[in-house]
Amino acid sequence: MADSDDEDDYMSMAIAEPAQALKETSIQRVARKKREAALKAQVKSKAEKAADEAAAREAALATPLHDTSNKGFKMMAKLGFKHGDTLGADKGGRAEPIQVVLKEDRGGIGLDTEKKRKFREQMNHEAKRVKAEEGEYRERVRFEREELKREGQIRNAQRVAEELASKAKEDSSTQLEPKVTKPTPKNARQPLRSINVLWRGLVRQRLVTDGEKRMRHNLTSVRSFLPTYEDPDLDREDLLALGRDEKAGVFKEEVEDEVEQEDSELDQFNALPSEQRLERLVIYMRQEHRYCFWCKYQYSDEAMSDCPGITEDDHD
Amino acid sequence: MANREREDSDDNNPRAKRPRIESEANGKMRSQNGFGGDATNDPSQNPYLQHHYPETTSGGRLNNALRHKTTTKATEALEDGPNNPFTGRKFSERYMDILRTRRDLPVHAQRTQFLEKYQQNQILVFVGETGSGKTTQIPQFVLYDDLPHLNNMMVACTQPRRVAAMSVAQRVAQEMDVTLGDEVGYSIRFEDKTSAKTVLKYMTDGMLLREAMSDNNLSRYSTIILDEAHERTLATDILMGLLKEVVLRRPNDLKLIIMSATLDATKFQRYFHNAPLLAVPGRTHPVEIFYTPEPERDYVEAALRTVLQIHATEPEGDILLFMTGEEEIEDACKKIDLEAREMEKESGAGPMKVYPLYGSLPPHQQQKIFEPAPGPNPNSKRPGRKVIVSTNIAETSLTIDGIVYVVDPGFSKQKVYNPRIRVESLLVSPISKASAQQRAGRAGRTRPGKCFRLYTEHAFKNELIEQTYPEILRSNLSSTVLELKKLGIDDLVHFDLMDPPAPETLMRALEELNYLACLDDEGDLTHLGRLASDFPLDPALAVMLIVSPDFYCSNEMLSLTALLSVPQLFTRPAAQRKRADEMKNLFAHADGDHLTMLNVYHAYRSDEAQNEPKQWCYDHFLNYRALTQADNVRTQLKRIMEKNEIELMSTPFEDKRYYENIRRALVAGFFMQVAKRDGNGKTYKTVKDDQSVLLHPSTVLAQDSEWVIYQEFVLTTKNFIRTVTAIKPEWLLELAPTYFDIDTFKKGDIKTSLQRAANKLRSKDNAAKGRK
Repeated sequence: MADSDDEDDYMSMAIAEPAQALKETSIQRVARKKREAALKAQVKSKAEKAADEAAAREAALATPLHDTSNKGFKMMAKLGFKHGDTLGADKGGRAEPIQVVLKEDRGGIGLDTEKKRKFREQMNHEAKRVKAEEGEYRERVRFEREELKREGQIRNAQRVAEELASKAKEDSSTQLEPKVTKPTPKNARQPLRSINVLWRGLVRQRLVTDGEKRMRHNLTSVRSFLPTYEDPDLDREDLLALGRDEKAGVFKEEVEDEVEQEDSELDQFNALPSEQRLERLVIYMRQEHRYCFWCKYQYSDEAMSDCPGITEDDHD
Repeated sequence: MANREREDSDDNNPRAKRPRIESEANGKMRSQNGFGGDATNDPSQNPYLQHHYPETTSGGRLNNALRHKTTTKATEALEDGPNNPFTGRKFSERYMDILRTRRDLPVHAQRTQFLEKYQQNQILVFVGETGSGKTTQIPQFVLYDDLPHLNNMMVACTQPRRVAAMSVAQRVAQEMDVTLGDEVGYSIRFEDKTSAKTVLKYMTDGMLLREAMSDNNLSRYSTIILDEAHERTLATDILMGLLKEVVLRRPNDLKLIIMSATLDATKFQRYFHNAPLLAVPGRTHPVEIFYTPEPERDYVEAALRTVLQIHATEPEGDILLFMTGEEEIEDACKKIDLEAREMEKESGAGPMKVYPLYGSLPPHQQQKIFEPAPGPNPNSKRPGRKVIVSTNIAETSLTIDGIVYVVDPGFSKQKVYNPRIRVESLLVSPISKASAQQRAGRAGRTRPGKCFRLYTEHAFKNELIEQTYPEILRSNLSSTVLELKKLGIDDLVHFDLMDPPAPETLMRALEELNYLACLDDEGDLTHLGRLASDFPLDPALAVMLIVSPDFYCSNEMLSLTALLSVPQLFTRPAAQRKRADEMKNLFAHADGDHLTMLNVYHAYRSDEAQNEPKQWCYDHFLNYRALTQADNVRTQLKRIMEKNEIELMSTPFEDKRYYENIRRALVAGFFMQVAKRDGNGKTYKTVKDDQSVLLHPSTVLAQDSEWVIYQEFVLTTKNFIRTVTAIKPEWLLELAPTYFDIDTFKKGDIKTSLQRAANKLRSKDNAAKGRK
C-alpha cells in the first residue's frame, strides 16, 4: 500500500490507508461475523424466495446435461453419437428439449407479447425524450430557431412570388390588350386550386383570416345577427360596405367551401421540410421572374450574372 | 407416473354405458336356424365360417382366392343376412336397425374405394374426421375382406385411450351382433377381454407395444390399424417406428392402416414411404370464427362473460366451453350457474343448465352431459340451453350433439418433461393451431355454429404453434427405452422415429436405467432390466417391486404399487373439506403418504369395510372406483410376480421394522427422487437438481423429517413434491451407492449431511465388527 511505495513522497496529500486494513482485529472479526450472520439469518420475503426459486429453475433449465460424465452419453457414443448430433434415421430430430414455460397468471394468449411490446415502445419513447433533454438541448433550440426563421423567409418569399406573378400577368395582359388597365379588384379572385401551390398556402391563410374577421365583424354588428337576416334599412352601398351583397354572400360560402376542401397538393407541399419549400420558391422566382430573393432584385438578363448564387450562404 | 396408458382423460366414457347385446336370445336363434338344412343358408358354404368346418377344406382354395378380392356388393349382401357370417346365427332385429344407421355413415359411401386401396397396398393412410364412423366401420370393412380367422389371425385396432378401446369394442360387438369378448374383444392394461374366437381386437396402443415385446413381428395379426394417429401418443409413435420395420419383414401377410382425424396426413404418408391416402369428409357444417380485438387480461373471466353474452343474445343452441382442469371447471360452473339464475329471474333469459366434464369425474355425472337442454322460459318463451365446461376431452374423443357455440380461451393442460430438471408435469399451456381448429369444429356438428376465440387473430397466427408437440417430445423416456431394448432395438440413436426427441432426453433415460441397474454400462439389458420390462410399470416402480423380497415386504409393496397406479385415492369435496381431512387423518401415518395409502388399503380389505365397501368408502371420503381398480391391478401384478417367481412375503406387523422395511424398499426404487430439508425452514431441496420445493399441502408427513422421497414433482409457480415419505440418509448410501457417490456432490448442506451419515454407518459397522 502507501508505505510500501519505493519513493516515499512525504509531501503526499493522500490520506494513508490505515494499516489495520491488512489485519483484522478480533473485535472487527467478531463484528464482521455478526454482520454476516445477521445477513444470513435474515428471513427472506416470499417474493425473494420465489425469485430465488425461479432463478434456480431457470438456471437448471438452461444448463444442458454434461456429456462426458453422463453414462447415457457414453452408451450413445458407442452407437456413433457425437456431441451436437440429433437423433433419428435422417438426423432430423430436435436438438434441444422443449422449453418449460410456467404460466403465472390468467392472462389470455397474446397478452404477454402485447405487454412487452407496449413496454418496449414506452422505453424507446422515454429514451428518446431523455436523449433530447440531455445532450441535444442546444442543438434542438438552435434547430427550432432556424426553423422559425425559415418559416418567416418562406412567407416573405411567397408574398414576393405572388406579387411577381400578378405583376407578370398584368404586364402580359397590358401587352395583349393595352387599353384595359383597370387593376384587378380584390374580390375578383381566382379559385384557390388554380393558384400556384408555392404560395397557395399564403392565399388560403389570408382567406381564412379574412373570413374570421368578417365573421367577427358580423357578430359584433347586432343587425346582422344571422347571415340570412335582411335589413330593410340598408341600401345596396351599405350592404356592399358590410360585405353582405349577394356576391359577398356567395363569396363567403365559396371560401368556406374551398378552405374546407381537402387539397392534397397543398398538403404534400406543406409536408416538405422548410429548406425544400424555400428552395423551390427561390428557384421559381429566379426562373420565372429573374428575381433573386436574396439580392432582392429583379435582374434584366436571363443569366442573372450579377447574382452570386442560389442559396442564402452565397450572398454572405 | 406409473400409468403408461392414458387413464387420466376420459375414464368411464358415457358411451361405454351402452347396453350389452343379449347373448341368450342369440343362443335360441342358433338352435332354430344356425345349422339348418336350408341350402342357400348353409353355413358350411359360407367363406366366413370355413374355419368351423376343418373337414370341408375343399373350399380352401376358394377362400384363398376370396381373401383381398371381395367386393362391396358381395359383402353387403352378406351383411344383409339373414345369418351372421361369423357365428352362423340369425341376425337379431337390433342388428338390422343398427345396420341401417351404419349405412348412413360417411365412410360407407367410400367402401369400394377403400377396399380397392386396401387390397392393392400394404400401407394405407386413412383420414376421416370425428363422426365419419371410421373407428367402428373400417375395422369391419377390413374383417370382411381380410378374413383373418382363415389363417388363425386377428385384426388389431389401437386406441390411445383405455376407455375408447372398451367402449368402441362394445359398440362394434353390438354392430356385428356378437358377444363382447367373443369375435370382438378388447385388451387394455390390466384387463383382457378376448378369447380364442376373437378376430377383431380393439386395444390400447400401449398394449400392442407390450405384445410386440414378446412377439417382435406381431405375427398374430394380419392387419394392424393404428387409430387416432394424429394424437401422436408415445406408444403410437413407437409402434409406427416398429411397424415400419415389421412391414418390411412381413411383405405378404401384414397390412397396416394409419387412421387420422386431421387433414395434415402428408406427414404420415411421407414417413411410410409415400403410402397412398384415402380421405372421407366428415359431416360438418360451417363454423364462423370470432376473435377478440385485444388480448384478454383474465381468460377465465373473459370466458364466463362470453358464455353469458351468448346466452343473452344468441339464438338457441348449446355451448361448449374449454377450460384447463378440474378446479377451474368446477369454479366456472358455479359462477355461470349463479349468473344464469340471476339472468333468468331479472331479464327473462331462458333457463340454463351447466355441466362439468373432466376425466376424474364419476361416470354417472359424466353421463349428464347427454341430457337434453332445459325447456324455454315459461314467461318470456326464450329457449333454454345447456353449457358444458370441459377439459380437452371434448376436443376429439367425445361427441356431444347439439353444440352450436364453442368458447375457446386457448389453453389446455399438457404434459411437459424436461430432462435437465427431470420433471414431468402437467402445465397450463397455449394450445396449437390444429387444436384450435378442432375445437372450433365442435360447433358445427349439428348445424352451422360459432366459435369465440378469446384471443386476437394476430395472436392466433403468431403465438400458437402449428401442431401440438407429440407426446414423445414431452415425456420421460425411461420406460420407453426399456421397452425398445426388450423389443430388440439396440441402436436407439438412429431408430427411425417420426419426431425424434432431444438427445438429452435419451441420455437421461439411459442414465436413469443404468442407476436402476436395468442397463449395464454397455447399455445392454441386465437380468433386473429384463424382469422390470415384464411389468407394465414405470421402471422405478418395477424395480422397487422386484427387489422388495430383499426387504421382507413384497406383499405390501405389491399393494402399494397397485395403489400408485390408480387415480387419487382420497376425495375432498369442496363443501366438506374439513370432514374429509379428519377422515384422512384416521389413516395417517406420521412417516408419510405411502404408508398412509397402505393403511387405507388394509382398512379397505378388512371385513368391516368389505361388508359394504361402497358405503364404507363414501363414509371415509375414499374413491371407491380407485380402490376396486387397485384391487384388480394388484391381482394382475401378482400374476406377473408369480410367473417370474418373485416371492410374496411380509414382515410380521408386530415387528418394529414392519414400516421401516417398507420405507427401505421404497428407497430401493425411488432413490432418484429425494429431497432434503433446507435448514430448519419449510422448504426442501431436491438432491442433484437443487430445486427448492415445498411439501404439497395434502401430505400427512410430520414437518420434522429431514430427508424424504417423493412420488411426484408438481411444477407450478411454487414447486411442490407430492406423496412423500420420510427416509434416512444412511439408507441412500447403502441402497444406491453409485447414485450417492459423495465425491460427485458439490459442496453444501446435502454433501455434509451425507458425509455425516457415512461416518455414522462406518462407526456402526466397526461396532458390529468389534462385537464379533
